[in-house]
Amino acid sequence: MFLTKLAFKNLIRHRTRTIVTASIIAFAIFFFILFDSLLAGITELSYQNIIDYEAGHLQVVEQEYWEEEDELPLTNLLVVDRQLSAAVENVKGYQASSMELNFPARLNNGTNELPVVGKGVIPGSFTEVFALEDQFVEGTMFSPGEYKAVMGKRLADLLKLEIGDYITLLVKDKNETFNTIDAEISGLVHTGNPNINSNAVYLPLDIVQQALNVNNRVSKLIVRLGNKNLAMGEATLLANSLKTINDSLAVYSWDQLEAVSIAGAKQMGNQLIMVIILLIAAIAIINTVILTALERMEEIGMMKALGLQEKEIIYTFVLESTGIGILGGIIGVMIGVFGVGLFARYGLDLGALTGLDISSFGIPVLGKMYGVWNLEAFLYVFTFGVIVSLLSSILPAYWAAVKDPVKAIYHR
Amino acid sequence: MSLLELKGIRKVYHQGKIEVPALRGVDLTIEEGEFTTVFGPSGSGKTTLLNMIGCLDKPSSGVITFAGRELGQLSKKDLAMLRRYNVGFVFQSYNLIPVLTAYENVEFAVRLTTKGREKELRERVMAILAAVGLEGLEARKPNELSGGQKQRVAIARALVKEPKLVLADEPSANLDSQTSTEVLEVMVKMNQELGTTFIFSTHDPQVMDYAGRMIEIRDGQISEDKRREGQYVSD
Repeated sequence: MFLTKLAFKNLIRHRTRTIVTASIIAFAIFFFILFDSLLAGITELSYQNIIDYEAGHLQVVEQEYWEEEDELPLTNLLVVDRQLSAAVENVKGYQASSMELNFPARLNNGTNELPVVGKGVIPGSFTEVFALEDQFVEGTMFSPGEYKAVMGKRLADLLKLEIGDYITLLVKDKNETFNTIDAEISGLVHTGNPNINSNAVYLPLDIVQQALNVNNRVSKLIVRLGNKNLAMGEATLLANSLKTINDSLAVYSWDQLEAVSIAGAKQMGNQLIMVIILLIAAIAIINTVILTALERMEEIGMMKALGLQEKEIIYTFVLESTGIGILGGIIGVMIGVFGVGLFARYGLDLGALTGLDISSFGIPVLGKMYGVWNLEAFLYVFTFGVIVSLLSSILPAYWAAVKDPVKAIYHR
Repeated sequence: MSLLELKGIRKVYHQGKIEVPALRGVDLTIEEGEFTTVFGPSGSGKTTLLNMIGCLDKPSSGVITFAGRELGQLSKKDLAMLRRYNVGFVFQSYNLIPVLTAYENVEFAVRLTTKGREKELRERVMAILAAVGLEGLEARKPNELSGGQKQRVAIARALVKEPKLVLADEPSANLDSQTSTEVLEVMVKMNQELGTTFIFSTHDPQVMDYAGRMIEIRDGQISEDKRREGQYVSD
């Protein structure tokens, strides 16, 4: 108990040093909290963008199609019959569903050509599942049977296309025969999802099915639910119920998509950066303990003369460092609360701030990003900061504690 | 009964490739309750000898036995425990803990050895502080005390746990004559009442006057070992 008291008294022995070291820890913790909040905000927004513009909550597909989905094949397509529609409509939280026929195409404006992802959709159900309708910057959605197209504004700008211009999509049909789809641009969208803005061209489903010679088949049936958290559980339930209809059908929830895994992997990478920041805090602690030990060498010698064991001397140093860690943690969390509060309320336009297009880093987010409160992160980083302070002090404390007592007392 | 036995103690320090002998074969027996001074010129090996006796340093060769236990056979932990319960040190440079008050510096030593009731511990600490003339200064930190007062805190810290052996390196160096006498009287009282063994390294004639045995060290060897009351041992 007395050693504990001594350790805490030592905390105020060199106030400036304690404050500086605690500030470094606080700074690291503050940055961790802020970046975690930013990452969580970006992740949340990117998930929402994926759901709102690309994936919906659930996707019903042929299992074999899913395995080759990256290549946008025209084989293993799906027939959406009444039985399947009824099963999908029975899903808990069901709001809407929409068929989609995806295909690779080359978009030609008469002079230039770009590879794009063509999407055949039924306008009515499509706008119930996806939030595209609010994202039109020019023009409107097409109607079924019209030779019209909607595309991302960025893609249109790239090919210098405007509303009313005609485009040609060069495609290969189901039989690998080249075909073209000519359409007039009826609308331009600018969504929060850069994949849609730069790569997607929407066309009426019936026109696409005819051009690709796939009859009434589609790539997938996309379902929107009331809540994204329902998706995983409902995907399993729906998959089970579909087995009675067709056992080659599979159901995937939005979080099983590759894009989501990439977003998750990026977050892991960024967390690694956060760990590096906290390592800086560890170095600060090690530096402080070594300085302190050097300064208190005579005192350490005296403690040994008094009969303190090495582990007891280590204990006093480690406790002192842990105290600095706790102090730094509290300060870091406090300014972290303030920072996240500001960030969650006012948001941050990283693109405008840095002049960089963050979507070019593969993050499906555009515009202002808002911080997200993550209490777990506060608790995690505080605990981690304290543990780092504790652990990083053990080795220098041991170094001090094993000093020859005579050398320590006489500072030899 | 002998408290300490030193047989053929040698200590060699290494300064780079040069060997510097500090003790060159010391044989010494200290009986329980002896009040001994060790004196000799600077660099003669007094402090080295005290460090050996206090289990802080190990000899290069030779055997030291403390209360029947051979120190060379003890682990680090055993040595620490031996120091904790049996040895009190007074260093010339005080070595007080700056963040602790005079009271707490003394309390530190007693807390390590005694698990008594709070009131008893407090009374014990206050009594020893009063005995060394620090009554009323308990709440002061070392930087608020004079050199002599710090020395008295260091003495109180060594005495408070009532060890078997007290080792003091120039204990009166920073004390005026009157305080020195008061402190020495406390030590003599402990020596007589508790049988505490005292070994001082000193040049102070006043301290030597109190000693029952005087050991002179020259060039790492005992050159003279004389006792009062007619006892005299010489090389």
